[in-house]
Amino acid sequence: MRRRSSWLTAVAAAAILAVTAPPAAAQGFDIRTHTLKNGLKILVQEDHSIPNVALYIFYRVGSRNERPGITGISHFFEHMMFNGAKKYGPGEFDRNMEANGGSNNAYTSENVTVYQDWFPRSALELIFDLEADRIQNLSFNPEIVESERGVIASERRNGVDNNNFGVLAEQLSAAAFTAHPYQWPVVGWMSDIEAWTLDDLKNHFKMGYSPSNATMVVTGDVTFDEIVALAQKYIEPIPSNPPPPKVMTKEPEQLGERRLVVRKFAQLPVLMMAYHVPETAHPDYYALQALETILFSGQSSRMYKRIVDKDQLALSVGGGGDWSFDPSVFTITAQPKAGIDPAAVEKAIYEEVDKVKTDAVTDEELEKAKNILLSGFYRNIKTISGRSNAIGTYEVFFGDYKKLFTAADDFAKVTKADVQRVARQYFTANNRTVATLVPEAAPAADKK
Amino acid sequence: MTRTVRILCSLLAALAIAAPAIAQPGSLKLPPYKKVVLKNGMTLLLMEQHEVPLVSFSVLMKAGSVNDPAGKEGAASMTAALLRKGTAARSADDFSAQLDFIGGSFGAGASADATAISAEFMKKDLARGLELVADAMLHPVFPADEVKKLAAQRVDGIKSAKDRAAGVIGQYYNAYLYGRHPYARPTGGDETSVASITREDVAKFYETNYTPGGTVMAVVGDFAAADMEKQLATAFAAWPVKPARAVALADAPEVKGRKLLLVDKPDSTQTYFRIGNIGIARSNPDRVLIEIVNTLFGGRFTSMINTELRIKSGLTYGASSGFPEWKAKGPFYVNSYTSNANTEKALDMTLDVLRRLHDKGISEDDLKSAKAYLKGQFPPDIETSDQLAGILSELVFNGLDEREINTYYAKIDAATMTDVNRVIKQYFPLDNLVFVLVGKASEIEGAVKKYAPVVDRKSINDRGF
Repeated sequence: MRRRSSWLTAVAAAAILAVTAPPAAAQGFDIRTHTLKNGLKILVQEDHSIPNVALYIFYRVGSRNERPGITGISHFFEHMMFNGAKKYGPGEFDRNMEANGGSNNAYTSENVTVYQDWFPRSALELIFDLEADRIQNLSFNPEIVESERGVIASERRNGVDNNNFGVLAEQLSAAAFTAHPYQWPVVGWMSDIEAWTLDDLKNHFKMGYSPSNATMVVTGDVTFDEIVALAQKYIEPIPSNPPPPKVMTKEPEQLGERRLVVRKFAQLPVLMMAYHVPETAHPDYYALQALETILFSGQSSRMYKRIVDKDQLALSVGGGGDWSFDPSVFTITAQPKAGIDPAAVEKAIYEEVDKVKTDAVTDEELEKAKNILLSGFYRNIKTISGRSNAIGTYEVFFGDYKKLFTAADDFAKVTKADVQRVARQYFTANNRTVATLVPEAAPAADKK
Repeated sequence: MTRTVRILCSLLAALAIAAPAIAQPGSLKLPPYKKVVLKNGMTLLLMEQHEVPLVSFSVLMKAGSVNDPAGKEGAASMTAALLRKGTAARSADDFSAQLDFIGGSFGAGASADATAISAEFMKKDLARGLELVADAMLHPVFPADEVKKLAAQRVDGIKSAKDRAAGVIGQYYNAYLYGRHPYARPTGGDETSVASITREDVAKFYETNYTPGGTVMAVVGDFAAADMEKQLATAFAAWPVKPARAVALADAPEVKGRKLLLVDKPDSTQTYFRIGNIGIARSNPDRVLIEIVNTLFGGRFTSMINTELRIKSGLTYGASSGFPEWKAKGPFYVNSYTSNANTEKALDMTLDVLRRLHDKGISEDDLKSAKAYLKGQFPPDIETSDQLAGILSELVFNGLDEREINTYYAKIDAATMTDVNRVIKQYFPLDNLVFVLVGKASEIEGAVKKYAPVVDRKSINDRGF
């Protein structure tokens, strides 16, 4: 069963960046675009190999558009989008979609809220009717709001309270950012989850859910003309609002290392660290990708070889950034082995980063990184669903889906010196926050 | 996909080579493939797919965790993970360096019934990729230090998994449900068994269970089948003839009455639970009917169980049910989680929904909806080379063929109300139930004792499952 709504944390960051640098070979992708009068941009890629369609709608609204007191409202709202509108009442969205062979999901991040519909071609018009109904006439039934609050509390307990990586990632972000909204969790603090009001939800809808604030991507067994015609019929009459207010707050430069500890009932410790890095659209994106791949990708990567294999300090080590509109963090996560002091793992990680700074990477490593990113690109575009996600992600985060086709060239331009420069520039002691989960034998509340 | 690739595809189709088109509305057919049995007994399955320049391998061998010697649970899984950790020609480092350099993927692991290897390479690197797969399968040397290292990692890996209830509830459930049956064993072993596994154990497991007889390798992707057949035949010809070792495996009997295992995890703010009994085998003739009913009961978002526990009551983020199909009868389970305070309410509700399924059955409209859903969701399951390789190898490994896919829609269409109501009574347990809960015992124990006359207890820190 597909579970609605994953919210993304630093733990998932590496996986998210897996949608990456594509090759020149992808330039043949035939994507056609159309913008409706209300501002909704539509991107269509026809593929008739299976009689199915993957339709994604990206709204440029996420937890960065929230404020203290309503943290998690974007994610909560994402859930409410499935809970009834004017024509299709509570439960009808899912019931109709499934009865016509479709399924759906959605995810919320700090930056965007994305709705995903996967369905047979025969359900195409129904999907437009369903999407238009909820974009235009979402209902806010107080009883359903209360019930959904419970669902999200359970989701939070599952992803944070009962998941040591989740607990630590949340604390890490809260410490790494002092001013910018990336400091609070996408799922929201529990006290905010318990306190959202109907008005908060309605305000969020007005702020973020204008057609002009969205991008629709359709891949699969469709024609461009029929998609444009359906969008004109169902979506174009929906009026647009002004876009969400700009996020004005900039995270000030970090002037010294920050450290935090979480003590918790556990068998094994967890270590995480976050370095401030620029936003996705920044020119350093490609050099950081190369660095990430060389350090963390595969069992031949520098970190795996040193920390997991040779020194046997940790069970796992991984790292990566996140798609973001604003400057974000590159997160490294490791799980020290039983009996190993997390400080020893931390020291080994710094030593590996320092090697890149002093000796640079090799030609072979750079070539390897390029091959890994190229094959990863093919894997991401081999399904209609993966392609919808990749097209939309590039359009939203780089401002132009065509970056998908030039990324191979952009990546090819990365030199060893570039990789060394970004390692020196961003991976400094003053620019990092270090978090450690220290196992305790009994839960805090049970201790005498 | 791309214009240029598409034109190439139609040219190939005109030459009567496998075309990628898979399905038309209302019908569905697996693309053609070639089956070759080598002299040593190994089966090869070849299917061309030219949409993306990738080639996918899926290998299944009769070397599941049911083949683990007693006390050495985890041997199959460790053997699989060690295939790449040193061969006659390559050190572990060399293998990883060569694999990563070409952006390839290679994974090997064990389930209850089989060892599975999957690998994928870009077309331009196919020769090197095939060399790596064959080297790992045929010439592993299992260096003692690598075995020791992996065993230590695995022991810690089990401890790490136990820090998250959602990650281990399945192992506890299978162990408690199956009792003395081999399916009770954790596929990855436990803290004690894994720590005891030596180089000799691994080498012996490999020697005994990795045989060309019974091994099925499916290769799907952007290649010419005739050429691929030659390359594979050359690569695997040297594997000495040996039939698969037969492991007799009876079906586990249904558990009679009710029993409950409570695993104490004192920091839990949420109770994770599985409820069920013995389910069905892969060979079950009613499997499509069962899939239809399970879709409605716990297999999709609007299922009965998710509607009650999540949509209507907000008790949980998710509730589902499943019938994993194993060689002998696999488990049936309902799975969910809820806050400590709501544990009893959620369990009562789960039992009520099971009762309602038995008492009221499903409606004509529900049946129609489930049929449309299963048919509409299936084409993306056979969209890519790796999916097709996985499906092909699984079919042939289990003695089936493409008819299983080609008749799937017809079987769904043919399901009647009589069929599905029979299936409910026959396969969904009601009174005989096994409960496994992982949660904070001091807060939930009083409430959950009522579900079974027998309540067993464990601590999450105890070794084993």
